[in-house]
Amino acid sequence: MTRFVTRPRALGALVLMASALAWPQARAALVPWAALRGKTVLFITGGADSPQPNDDALVSRHLRKLGLIVRAVDASAPESVAGGASLIVLSSTANSHALGDKYADSTVPIFTWNTYDYPNLGLTGPVLHRDFEVIDPTQHYPDSFAVLYAYGANLTSQISRAVGLRPQLFGTLYLEPGTAGWGRPGPGGTVIADFMGRQSHAAVFTYERDASLANGRPAPARRAGFYLGSDDFHLLTAAYGPAAKDPNMRRWAIGLKLFDTALRWAASPPPPLPAYDPAALDSAIRRIAHGKKVLFVERVNGGEGRRSDEHMVEHLRRLGFTVTIADQSDPETRARGQDLVIISGTCSKWKLANRYVNVSVPVISLEGLMSDTLHFTGYDRYVDYGEHGELHESDDPPESYLDIVGAWSPMAAGLKPGLVKFENTPGVLKWARPLPDATVIATLPNEPWECAIFGYPKGALMAGGFIAPARRALLPLDNPTFDDLTPQGRALFDAVVLWTLGG
Amino acid sequence: MRRHCEAPRAGAILLAATALAISFAVTAGEFPYRVLHRIALTGTAPVQALAFGPGGRHLYATAGAELRRYGTVSAAPGNRLKLPGVGVGLAAAARDGGVLYVATRSPARLLILALRPLRIRASVALRNGEPSALLYDSIGHALYVESRVGRSVARLDPKNGKTLGVARLHGLLEQMAASGRGMLYVANAAGQELEVIRTVGMRPDGAIPLSGCTAPSGLAMDTVGRRLFVACGNGQALVVDEDMGFTFVRLPIARAASLRAVFAFDPLGPGGWKGGVFMAGDGPALDAIRMKAFISYVGGGSLLLGGTCTALALSPVARQLVLALAPRAAAMGATNAGATAGGAQLLILGGDGAEGSQ
Repeated sequence: MTRFVTRPRALGALVLMASALAWPQARAALVPWAALRGKTVLFITGGADSPQPNDDALVSRHLRKLGLIVRAVDASAPESVAGGASLIVLSSTANSHALGDKYADSTVPIFTWNTYDYPNLGLTGPVLHRDFEVIDPTQHYPDSFAVLYAYGANLTSQISRAVGLRPQLFGTLYLEPGTAGWGRPGPGGTVIADFMGRQSHAAVFTYERDASLANGRPAPARRAGFYLGSDDFHLLTAAYGPAAKDPNMRRWAIGLKLFDTALRWAASPPPPLPAYDPAALDSAIRRIAHGKKVLFVERVNGGEGRRSDEHMVEHLRRLGFTVTIADQSDPETRARGQDLVIISGTCSKWKLANRYVNVSVPVISLEGLMSDTLHFTGYDRYVDYGEHGELHESDDPPESYLDIVGAWSPMAAGLKPGLVKFENTPGVLKWARPLPDATVIATLPNEPWECAIFGYPKGALMAGGFIAPARRALLPLDNPTFDDLTPQGRALFDAVVLWTLGG
Repeated sequence: MRRHCEAPRAGAILLAATALAISFAVTAGEFPYRVLHRIALTGTAPVQALAFGPGGRHLYATAGAELRRYGTVSAAPGNRLKLPGVGVGLAAAARDGGVLYVATRSPARLLILALRPLRIRASVALRNGEPSALLYDSIGHALYVESRVGRSVARLDPKNGKTLGVARLHGLLEQMAASGRGMLYVANAAGQELEVIRTVGMRPDGAIPLSGCTAPSGLAMDTVGRRLFVACGNGQALVVDEDMGFTFVRLPIARAASLRAVFAFDPLGPGGWKGGVFMAGDGPALDAIRMKAFISYVGGGSLLLGGTCTALALSPVARQLVLALAPRAAAMGATNAGATAGGAQLLILGGDGAEGSQ
């Protein structure tokens, strides 16, 4: 009897593996240190113009200890010196004005703690104190104690997992008033850790290759920003001796480990970029759909959107899914045994209540107004989440375009960074501001913080400290929108379904 | 003939230079102490251990197989006591009206002495090798005897000298420091690390790495701030956070092959110091680290030394720092037949306002 149960499960796993091979992965693995040994790092410092004291010599020694070949140049060196390097490491001793945007287009990955240079690289906006800032004991004495602590904002990035980051404070620098920088990356960036629990004050953040930078341009290669100041590398926290055996101390003193891991992430090869290929996407989703059960939650016999819901269900069944329809008022237990729950935009937030929040099955919400209920974002309506184009409920006009900012993710269906026509007719588009653990795929045009498509991996830190029991995604399809999707919009729908089903 | 004439002259010049050198701070005038008393030492054996008695009114020194007592106010010599072996470690405890512990080698014994009158109350054989250092942990009420040749540290009952546990270690064991909360640290000059021992059961518990520090020999501890101070042979002093094993301050000191370190917490210390670490050995200087706060340490100046510092003691009660100085040849060891003890002395340093005989 057991055999009959386990065999389909094993088959399912095989199918998942096969589909995973056929469709690009969201995250390539961190390469082991051994693979980086002998690689050349271009270490850009201020050279003779560096402020004193500084820790550049210590950093250089540390990089060599890691097995890297360090080629040090100063800020005045031409961009061509990066040729042949596997990684650019940019110290804050290099004058950001002298650097300018020299390395902005470099296809060599960059690991930087030169906060003032963040705007030059497009990592943040250009305004000091709003988009980036350096806290130091001379100018900001009280704050220089605040930056001794940072918060684990992201639990699922490769860096977070390798470091064992938790949603709690950790010590950034040893207990002296320190110098540290923060930046506010664009929605295409990934905040790993932040200061004072503000994701706009990112201590450590990254951009995957082809993720949209804060200036809207796609990142030519991986980018990582780190909070370090010029002379506090030696203060990056680490636990030694008996303290290293204490799990609390080990999780507290992770500054150096975070530095090393972020550097290793930057130097690791990025995942292959997905190509926009609706046929390949269709094949991939068909391979995975067979034998999978989808619970489609809608307002049964509802008015507006009924036909669109029917067409969505037909589409899913055509792909090979076994679709069961549930009414919004049905008990949550309907999700038992399902592989995916899709909450239709026809559902009433009031009637659905808190159903499907805790289910251990992946969930896609097509209704953005449920973002607070589902822990996608905070509770402040029209601040944490809202909508464009709804009469009387939005200051913003109807919209038909989305801005792709996470082109590197399989959820982006291979679409290029930038504007894409999502639906043929301008209509209602919902948005939310997810937490750093979400991967943002698309925002509303000219509203970089109003995110339309995003997904939380399993185990991600969601709003209110909620940990995602399985993948969660927002895809804004107002009641009749499915029928009006462009081919690109349809590809995004399929890609989000495919990604969400994966965990 | 010429030789016989020149030798005393050279000796006199050396003495004069030494006297000058130890009287003035070389670095920008932060050093909190000045020389109050200079006690010329007699005999051929260098002072190997120093300790202030409880209350800080007396100073004890071992030179060869002799224990000597001095008054700290007057610097006047007091009682002398013959020891059964060469005194290599000294420690004082305030308990039972004042107790002094002496570790001797040849033979290896722990002596428990009463102070009034000064007499040996008990003599206990040490069975884990010739002792090289002795430490009394006044918070944990424990006595530790280190044996460099036996590569061990033994915990003894301070009441009767009975061995309670032994930690077997590796490397070249130097100065010890106790946390008073169940941890004992030993500088390992052969490795760049501090050996860590859990004193309950005397169980070795790994090591704290001391990156960039070669031949660490001097070690002191602030048990309140939980900082360890390490004197390294390559001219670095480290301040290590005990709770993290993390080195967060590095300061330059004089290079030396063998160093000793002492620390005292004194919120109302001389010169506005809240605490100070002093490090000296066979290098050219006595170096000070000033504690400004538990997280802030800066160089506190240094004093050039004309001879080798063979022992060091600090009393926050007496507000005195004492160094035993020996001419460099003599400091090589009492067994060096060619050595001369001429110029060996004890220097008692104190803060401004203290009276001295200089």
